[in-house]
Amino acid sequence: MKLTPSVLDLDWLDVETKIARFINDYVDKIKAKGIIVGLSGGIDSSVAGALSAKAIGGNRVLGLMLPEKETRNEEDIRHAKLVIKKFKLRSQLCDITPTLEAIYTSIPTFDTADRVCKGNIKARTRMLYNYYYANKLNLLVCGSSDKSETMMGYFTKWGDVAADISPIMDLYKTQVKKLADHIGIPKNIIAKPPTPALWPSQTAEGELGIRYETLDLILYGLEHFMTVEEISEQLLMKPSIITKVKQRWLGAEHKRRMLLTTKLEYRTVGTDFRLRRG
Amino acid sequence: MKQKFKVALAQISCTVGEKAKNLETIEKAVVTAKRNNTDIVIFPELSLTGYVVRDQIYELAETVPGPSTTAIEKIARKTKTYIVFGMPELSEKTQATIFNTAVLVGPEGFIGKYRKMYLPTHSVFEEKRYFRPGYQTAVFDTSLGKIGLIICYDIFFPEVSRLTRLEGAQLIICISASPAVRRTFFETLISARAIENTAFIAYVNLVGIEDGLQFWGGSRIAGPQGRVLAKAKYDEEDFVVGEIDYSDMRAVETFVPTLRDLRPEIFDKMKERAEKL
Repeated sequence: MKLTPSVLDLDWLDVETKIARFINDYVDKIKAKGIIVGLSGGIDSSVAGALSAKAIGGNRVLGLMLPEKETRNEEDIRHAKLVIKKFKLRSQLCDITPTLEAIYTSIPTFDTADRVCKGNIKARTRMLYNYYYANKLNLLVCGSSDKSETMMGYFTKWGDVAADISPIMDLYKTQVKKLADHIGIPKNIIAKPPTPALWPSQTAEGELGIRYETLDLILYGLEHFMTVEEISEQLLMKPSIITKVKQRWLGAEHKRRMLLTTKLEYRTVGTDFRLRRG
Repeated sequence: MKQKFKVALAQISCTVGEKAKNLETIEKAVVTAKRNNTDIVIFPELSLTGYVVRDQIYELAETVPGPSTTAIEKIARKTKTYIVFGMPELSEKTQATIFNTAVLVGPEGFIGKYRKMYLPTHSVFEEKRYFRPGYQTAVFDTSLGKIGLIICYDIFFPEVSRLTRLEGAQLIICISASPAVRRTFFETLISARAIENTAFIAYVNLVGIEDGLQFWGGSRIAGPQGRVLAKAKYDEEDFVVGEIDYSDMRAVETFVPTLRDLRPEIFDKMKERAEKL
């Protein structure tokens, strides 16, 4: 297999159709009234929101904007509103700052300097708002996680990844960009650097320490059972870089597979209770 | 025996885990088929229950013959139509040994069954976890000629279709539950199996989404020359009727005489090598 950017090419109309069918089918089976999607103004949530609207109609999709004072970015809010307007979503903006401050002050040992713990509270608070509206309005939470982030474990457990459906989770970030372009997401949203917005000036590529164009080819190789040596030879990169990505991918499995217990009885939740969804 | 007859490809989406609803769907399709003067209606793999039933399979499986087979037999008798469908078959001798089975019923009632030999257990498939494999090919003598049954992944193993053909099948029916990412494999293999055996292949695939898996449909009849004679839509429910004329086989068998040119000694070698893979 040749690890060139073209391996990530797909028939984008076919992908759009399949995702829209998947969303529509699941909403219908679950008998939900619609979908809620947290809109950050970034590419992933824009694509998830737009595809939801294409699947079931924008009037059944609630785009929830959840800014907070430390990471509030007027351009991101403007971008989220662009998507809302273009795909005719219903919308709601909730400033989550008071909730966050209440959490910070109620934890006796809260350390404001620990930006990871603090950031994860933000991601989990956003989840809480998403599920409040889902619960209240009988909506499904549509997640925005992509395959690159999910494989790398670059998300908050029980936070941004928490959702009922994750329609773009089988697409790498560079593929999401192409799909975004295909479905008409505004170019300035596609072009800006992705960020989970957990602290000011945070960028995904900065934290991952690698560009998505390269990361996605490494992950694609690993997905296709290529060895570290094969990937390193093809991408002309040091094996240590590939190994680091591989270890991070394997080490994050605890974030992807939840409800771990130890087997004590006949059939066990999360292990050999093998039940279908829906 | 009819030399020429109509085949209906009933490309349905199943209500997962609900046999009564799927029986209704099957009955409706057979009535439609009857109106179209078709002689045989084919439904997808596990069409009685849906494909992704997981542990629910233990409560859904039935013996063959059994209650659901009897219900479909009644439809066949009433409409004087042959019906092929798929279901989880419970062994009569045990309480949790299940086969992935294709059943053939006709105007005369229950005709026979085929238990899937090759159970995919890789990628998204976990069939060996639930099913015991079958050990025999199945060919039935009917008023529509000799009909052989195979199921889905069996088509990747040319020896199954070959043996079915060598047992006399003129029409090989392949019922399937194939997810979208596998489409190109099947589209190639259906025509290949038809050409190499100079036989008709009727392939019927599931559609719909089950636990996130999207089935691609694309059911079709391939003639002995590999040409697609009738084809259903991709990804959505469809009902397509095609005609089979066994007299077409003669011309192909003389033009590409694959059966005349068979070399049985190669099969011995193949067995020997396969055991040492």
